[in-house]
Amino acid sequence: MTVTDSRMTPAEAPRARRLSPVVRNLLRSQQFGLVGVITVLLIALSVLAGSHIDQATGATVNNFLNSHTLIQTATDASFVAIMAVGATIVIISGGIDLSVGAVYALAGVAMGLTLRVAAPGGGAGAVVLALVVCVAVGVAAGALNGVMVVGLRVHPFIITLGTMWILRGIAFVASKAESISLPESLTRFAKSPLGLGAALYPVPMLWMLVVSVLGAVYLQKTVMGRHVFALGGNAEASRFSGLRLGRIQIGVYVLAGLTAGLAAFLGSGFYGSVSCGDATGYELYVIASAVVGGARLSGGRGSAINAMLGAVLIVLIRQSIRTLHLDQNYEWIIIGCAIVIAVVLDQASARFAARRLAQGEESS
Amino acid sequence: MTAGIVRPSLRRSLHRSLRGVSLAFLLAAVAAAAGCPKPSSAPTATGEGGAPAPLAGAKPIRIAMIAKSSTNPVFLSARRGAETAAKDLSGRTGVPIEIMWLTPPQEDGQIQAQRVAQAVNEGANAILISCSDAGKVTGAINDAVARGVPVMTFDSDAAQSKRFSYYGVDDRQLGEDVMEELAKLLGGKGRVAILAGNQNAPNLRRRVEGVKAEAAKHHGIQIIGTFYHAETPQDAAAEVIRVNNAYPDIKGWAMVGGWALFTKTLLTDLDPKKVKLVAVDALPTELPYVEKGLAPVLLAQSSYLWGNVGVTKIIDKIFYKKDVPEIVSMDPVRVTSESLGTWSRQLRQWGFADVPEEYLKLK
Repeated sequence: MTVTDSRMTPAEAPRARRLSPVVRNLLRSQQFGLVGVITVLLIALSVLAGSHIDQATGATVNNFLNSHTLIQTATDASFVAIMAVGATIVIISGGIDLSVGAVYALAGVAMGLTLRVAAPGGGAGAVVLALVVCVAVGVAAGALNGVMVVGLRVHPFIITLGTMWILRGIAFVASKAESISLPESLTRFAKSPLGLGAALYPVPMLWMLVVSVLGAVYLQKTVMGRHVFALGGNAEASRFSGLRLGRIQIGVYVLAGLTAGLAAFLGSGFYGSVSCGDATGYELYVIASAVVGGARLSGGRGSAINAMLGAVLIVLIRQSIRTLHLDQNYEWIIIGCAIVIAVVLDQASARFAARRLAQGEESS
Repeated sequence: MTAGIVRPSLRRSLHRSLRGVSLAFLLAAVAAAAGCPKPSSAPTATGEGGAPAPLAGAKPIRIAMIAKSSTNPVFLSARRGAETAAKDLSGRTGVPIEIMWLTPPQEDGQIQAQRVAQAVNEGANAILISCSDAGKVTGAINDAVARGVPVMTFDSDAAQSKRFSYYGVDDRQLGEDVMEELAKLLGGKGRVAILAGNQNAPNLRRRVEGVKAEAAKHHGIQIIGTFYHAETPQDAAAEVIRVNNAYPDIKGWAMVGGWALFTKTLLTDLDPKKVKLVAVDALPTELPYVEKGLAPVLLAQSSYLWGNVGVTKIIDKIFYKKDVPEIVSMDPVRVTSESLGTWSRQLRQWGFADVPEEYLKLK
């Protein structure tokens, strides 16, 4: 059925009718813009990257458009993207979580110390134990954040700033600042090629996709997800609607901790060791990914899939600086500019939309 | 608000907003491509100094250099050494040699592991790396070697990896040397603090072990603690001042890196009559500490040679097919007021433009 939006201008309506519903939905989808930019960047990098002779096979290989680089880029994005899904849920609820990097480090250190004692020989049991420890530490840290935000009635920025230092400090003391090697079985799991061939490791990328889809389903298809949007959109209205706001708030921080724990499990396994300094500063990349993905820091808006795409886009920009052999000292400037431009445009657009909405209501 | 309860006009506007955001990114990326200068790290030699120019059309040798941090001056001098070696060797071998500078802006073993993989994916012929966290990069080094790209480490090793060689000082011995020099300056007695940088760096940990082991031989020396800090000059200097205020009777500092001396603040905040420093590294900004007598001895690592010797050994291995020893030792240089002139001229020769002129005139 072809539906024409009643608010389209007369000039837009015939053009819209010519488009099939599939194309129209695609163009209207939240992901269209980000996917479009990522696609354009991928094409540009493929064209401009140049090529080299592969040491092992002697074949000519595009410097960017090859399976190793593409999967490596997705892998680089995956640990941040998984955390960004949880952070986005917090942001949608109107909160903020600065402690995700510290949760990552603490979960990793707890996993390393536990495996050192309980499963030094590795094996499948070590992988399961590692996952359980990381998830448990992540959930506990998230619950701590949530309970403190709700119980102490202090702004989450302050609470999570405090727990960021506390949790990293615990990781520091517990690990004695050592770098702890993990059993080989954990690395074999995280770096399993799944039949793709040597030095191709798609596992983190697959986890990123799964976590993002689960996050999207949670936010868009479940009552709990709708409650998160409602809380971030208008907390007062939500309270008068009978929603238990404290429980929702604790829940979103638990989910952020859970995703940080999962990222720690995968990241630590992938790189084969853990230390208290892991993921230092990653909270800013995580929040940047959510914001670039369209999450509004004042709450009420955001998307798990877009957060993942935001992480991929940031990593792709970093990758492009190196692939095009640009001076990498400009990396921070470029990423910083892109985030500021994105948010400024976003806010300007929101103000414009609000004005149009008000004008529409006045005229009706 | 949820998508279902957002008005269509608002939703359209939001979609436009997202496209605007995306456009911003595209513009930023294009601006990056158009506006950023290319790094000056591809010294395909032009035959300076009488050396023949590389053969036209010869396939270049690309060496990825991954130091710990691109904001640390010692690694910038290592880069300069690598680029000079690449230029010289390009002339000698007739093959263009390029240095791919892939050092992260801040210390991060995980990012280093990603850069190792990236170097291989982009066709590097060899990798020269100083490991921020040996455990994090060992897997990536082994992957690179498995894909036919030899790896050499410098400054900070990954001894469990399949790297073919390591070039640097014996860190434990260097720590012992620092403490031995400090003990001599203090007459074998006094309270001493250790400034130790990043607690995760394995080479620094070994130096600290060396300092403690040597201190144990001097019964009059008491170590009050080991103090870690972010490896920036300001953080390091601030840590020294904090500790000095907390322990006013400190007689000496054993600094296993020279970070704090890259600032000038300690020249005025510490009294050379009360406190003596012995530090690793002796870059131009640290030399006034020797002149003023606050740091009578600096044990310099020739950081320029990390890059210079590293690239030379890699070319020996992959071009000349020579055997390279698994450990190539670097001896630290003892810089005192007597050798200040000689060392300053050496630094200038290595390309350091900020060596104070008055030191160059010293004997």
